Amino acid sequence: MGASGGTALAGELLTGVAYLLAEVYASSSWWTRRASSQNRPSLSPYIPGLTSPPAARVTPLPNRSDAFTPARKRTGGGRARGPPVNTSSHGITTAMATNRSDSGSSAQPNLRVTIIAADGLYKRDVFRLPDPFAVATINGEQTKTTQVCKRTLNPYWNESFDYRATEDGILAVQVFDQKKFKKKDQGFLGVINVRIGDVIELADGADDQMLTRDLKKSTDNLVVHGKLIINLSTNLSTPTRPQQPQSTNSSRPSLAPQASALSADRASERPTSSTSALNGTGPGTQTNLPIRTNGVNGAAPASGNASGQSRSAQMSPFEDAHGRLPAGWERREDHLGRTYYVDHNSRTTSWTRPTQAGAGDARGEREAATQVERQRHQNRTLPEDRTGANSPTLQHQQQQASTQQNAQNSTMMHTGATSPGTGELPPGWEQRWTPEGRPYFVDHNTRTTTWVDPRRQQYIRMYGGNNNANGTIQQQPVSQLGPLPSGWEMRLTNTARVYFVDHNTKTTTWDDPRLPSSLDQNVPQYKRDFRRKLIYFRSQPAMRILSGQCHIKVRRSHIFEDSFAEISRQSATDLKKRLMIKFEGEDGLDYGGLSREFFFLLSHEMFNPFYCLFEYSAHDNYTLQINPHSGINPEHLNYFKFIGRVVGLAIFHRRFLDAFFIGALYKMVLGKAVQLADMEGVDADFHRSLQWMLDNDISGGILEQTFSTEDERFGVMTVEDLIPNGRNIDVTNENKKEYVDLMVKWRIEKRIAEQFQAFKDGFQELIPHDLINVFDERELELLIGGIAEIDVDDWKKHTDYRGYTENDEVIQFFWQTIRSWDGEQKSRLLQFATGTSRIPVNGFKDLQGSDGPRRFTIEKAGDVGNLPKAHTCFNRLDLPAYKSLEALQQKLTIAVEETMGFGQE
Amino acid sequence: MAASQKRLTKELQECTESPPQGMTISLASEADLHKWNIVLAGPPGTPYAGGVYNITASLPPDYPFKAPQINFVTRIYHPNITNDSLGNICLGLLKPENWKPASRVRAVLEAVRQLLVEPNPDDPLEARIADEYRNNRVEFDKNVKSYVTRYAKGSSK
Repeated sequence: MGASGGTALAGELLTGVAYLLAEVYASSSWWTRRASSQNRPSLSPYIPGLTSPPAARVTPLPNRSDAFTPARKRTGGGRARGPPVNTSSHGITTAMATNRSDSGSSAQPNLRVTIIAADGLYKRDVFRLPDPFAVATINGEQTKTTQVCKRTLNPYWNESFDYRATEDGILAVQVFDQKKFKKKDQGFLGVINVRIGDVIELADGADDQMLTRDLKKSTDNLVVHGKLIINLSTNLSTPTRPQQPQSTNSSRPSLAPQASALSADRASERPTSSTSALNGTGPGTQTNLPIRTNGVNGAAPASGNASGQSRSAQMSPFEDAHGRLPAGWERREDHLGRTYYVDHNSRTTSWTRPTQAGAGDARGEREAATQVERQRHQNRTLPEDRTGANSPTLQHQQQQASTQQNAQNSTMMHTGATSPGTGELPPGWEQRWTPEGRPYFVDHNTRTTTWVDPRRQQYIRMYGGNNNANGTIQQQPVSQLGPLPSGWEMRLTNTARVYFVDHNTKTTTWDDPRLPSSLDQNVPQYKRDFRRKLIYFRSQPAMRILSGQCHIKVRRSHIFEDSFAEISRQSATDLKKRLMIKFEGEDGLDYGGLSREFFFLLSHEMFNPFYCLFEYSAHDNYTLQINPHSGINPEHLNYFKFIGRVVGLAIFHRRFLDAFFIGALYKMVLGKAVQLADMEGVDADFHRSLQWMLDNDISGGILEQTFSTEDERFGVMTVEDLIPNGRNIDVTNENKKEYVDLMVKWRIEKRIAEQFQAFKDGFQELIPHDLINVFDERELELLIGGIAEIDVDDWKKHTDYRGYTENDEVIQFFWQTIRSWDGEQKSRLLQFATGTSRIPVNGFKDLQGSDGPRRFTIEKAGDVGNLPKAHTCFNRLDLPAYKSLEALQQKLTIAVEETMGFGQE
Repeated sequence: MAASQKRLTKELQECTESPPQGMTISLASEADLHKWNIVLAGPPGTPYAGGVYNITASLPPDYPFKAPQINFVTRIYHPNITNDSLGNICLGLLKPENWKPASRVRAVLEAVRQLLVEPNPDDPLEARIADEYRNNRVEFDKNVKSYVTRYAKGSSK
């Protein structure tokens, strides 16, 4: 049982860790997923890397042989900072341990590369596990090596190296088996190549990117498996993780605690073993394969996207399925197996397949736009997601509050989240140290070990439950809830279950006093706290994933119709089982990546106005509303039910849709009454006229309106009464308020009542109404669409000022405040000012108002005693000239967080 | 009768019984109250005099909550009307932010006629024509008349 590689990574409990937990953090924390027992093998999520053509120019994007050779070449050439080929293995280790920095790095380093871990390496020998180490170079120089991890397929290094790099530089990280390093193939276990500029902006402050990449083959075509997890950061201010004292035998800190604390009879519950890891990485293997699956299954000679490679591999680089490429063009694949094209004539690269006439340009642009959208979509998060098994400590939160969530996560990776807690350990716990001196914690109650200090990381464990036949312990991290109320204390039972003592009343309870205790709508105590609502929402029994699996197999090219058939066919209960998406003709198991892609693609299809089910709310605006004339498709109600199911399914399985609706639709989902203000997002002109009616004297029959309206359906005008016999009742000053209310209801609700009912039926099959009701309409938008990463620089760059200049103090306060906010707050400000948290594909320069392009505008308006106001139609924020940063922060926060509803005008 | 139908009928009736100066108004089709045809005589004392202009007014289903759309079918040489087959017109009254549900088609049409009497070169759709109007009135008048001769002499259509 040598393998256990990453098991001890970054602090997870080694017991059967929560199914729930693994699901929550599927996007960010591969180690929690790994931890979730053997029928859930560890595969990292699919994270598309490149979002734009690989390079504006043909960079020295190394083909595989290039990528592989530098270290060897250097060695042979005597410059020799790479792993020396001909030394003894012991010698190598020593050499590597020194981690010398190398040539080409005389300038200040500007990039920190942390080689965190590899996952599911290929097991080349039947009876022996490799001793992997990694070698990283940039453009073949500045060679750095990690220490050796002994006998594991899941090595964990977590070593940081500082580089001098340019955005065109290619980071190559190769993994070798130290035992075989002298052999011909050097025990090669895979390589990744990353163009720095594709994943991180060097120029731009403290950027930080966590990457998970499939290891790729080299030229010698040896089978390669698994993933490499690295982190790139431009924040070099914190010291690199100190190197552990060199010890060739035990650079794997995890072995000791596991071996000592786990008894044999618990082995079957071990979250990872070499075999399970292997199963997981083999394409097409079932997740529930028995643990004894031999290496052959796991070692299927391809990684997730290899099928595409093998298909195209039969052709020369100068042709593809569409025939020969134009002269001077070459087809290549990037490190993710995606095809791109190199134009040797102009020395440029492109995602678009060239045609002789260049006719593919438009399509290429569309695809590129889709790719940007995909990337955005994948990067969306919700606040709860950033907690996890290695949830940041309080200091981290404060320190990192202003940076992106990625940065938070990765900072945690650096430190391993082992910061000590204070006070006494819970009963039955013991602190021990690895030979390297890293503390870990033994829970004698459950005979488990963890890196996480139990005083730091708290879980709620929910035992049993009807859906929980296999006795899995469901856990819910609550470490981000902040301190307990005064007089409260958190304790652990002797079975490590958390309970709470209220010294004020001398009572104990299982319920965390920081979580909402009931759904009482009259107690809006968590009104503003989306994160807490989310934790509460997700912890509800109705939101738990049922045991078993829900397989959905679709063709990419027919995703809408296939999904419609598959999802309509299944019962709601089946849909609550673990979702396993499969794209026909593609390998790969769904550990998050595929279902993310699935919801991304499907949302682009099913909301496409082309199908007449949804339409854009107003000309030039991209928020969606139900198309009142969808009845052109006689099946439309079935489709709406299906779409409702998909939205519910995405929420249930914690995936995001790339879709943003008008505010009124969210309100309707929540069962809230729509108001005149909601009309603004639907039809600004109409809204303006209705508002005018209310604000002006309409006596004398100047409007000549009755309580009826006309609707045009496919060219035919029909008359609809707003109230019985409405067409004969005149609108007067006295009844105009009622008229406006009815008109708004009709325009927003009545015309689509059937469709919405079908949508809601589908939705509520997965998400109970009384649960979704904890959110308000803005939060629902975030729940469905996720919180995007917002580029404040881009935002600022495309902002206009009226009455202010960019240099005014209050404007500087404004941007300073925005930068200090987290993703949720930024999204909420965007909702407040523009009506949606959606950002245009091409960034803020394409922001649309109700009357065409409207850049974000800050206008000098209002008294400093007032709150900022928003005009969502015009993407305008009326900002009083607050005198201090504190005043601005306070007013803006209140305006953004307290203001309900979308229409702010 | 529906809201806008009632109002449209009334407006049409008023406009046909006592049409705005220099105009005759009819429905494009008896079945559709939302499409009006207007024949406008070029106002006397302007270079447009003698011209006969066909104009359409499209009244949206949401009328009067949405502004009508006016187009010149007959081509016209004017700073505020596009010099193409669309004949789009720029009229402050019709801009969405200015439109009031109490505004009437009649007022709109009167404003259109007034625009021929008094072009507004400060808010032009055709900047070149606006420049000419401001700086070379002789040339402008000549061009207007040339357009009248070429396009606006027909009895109608």
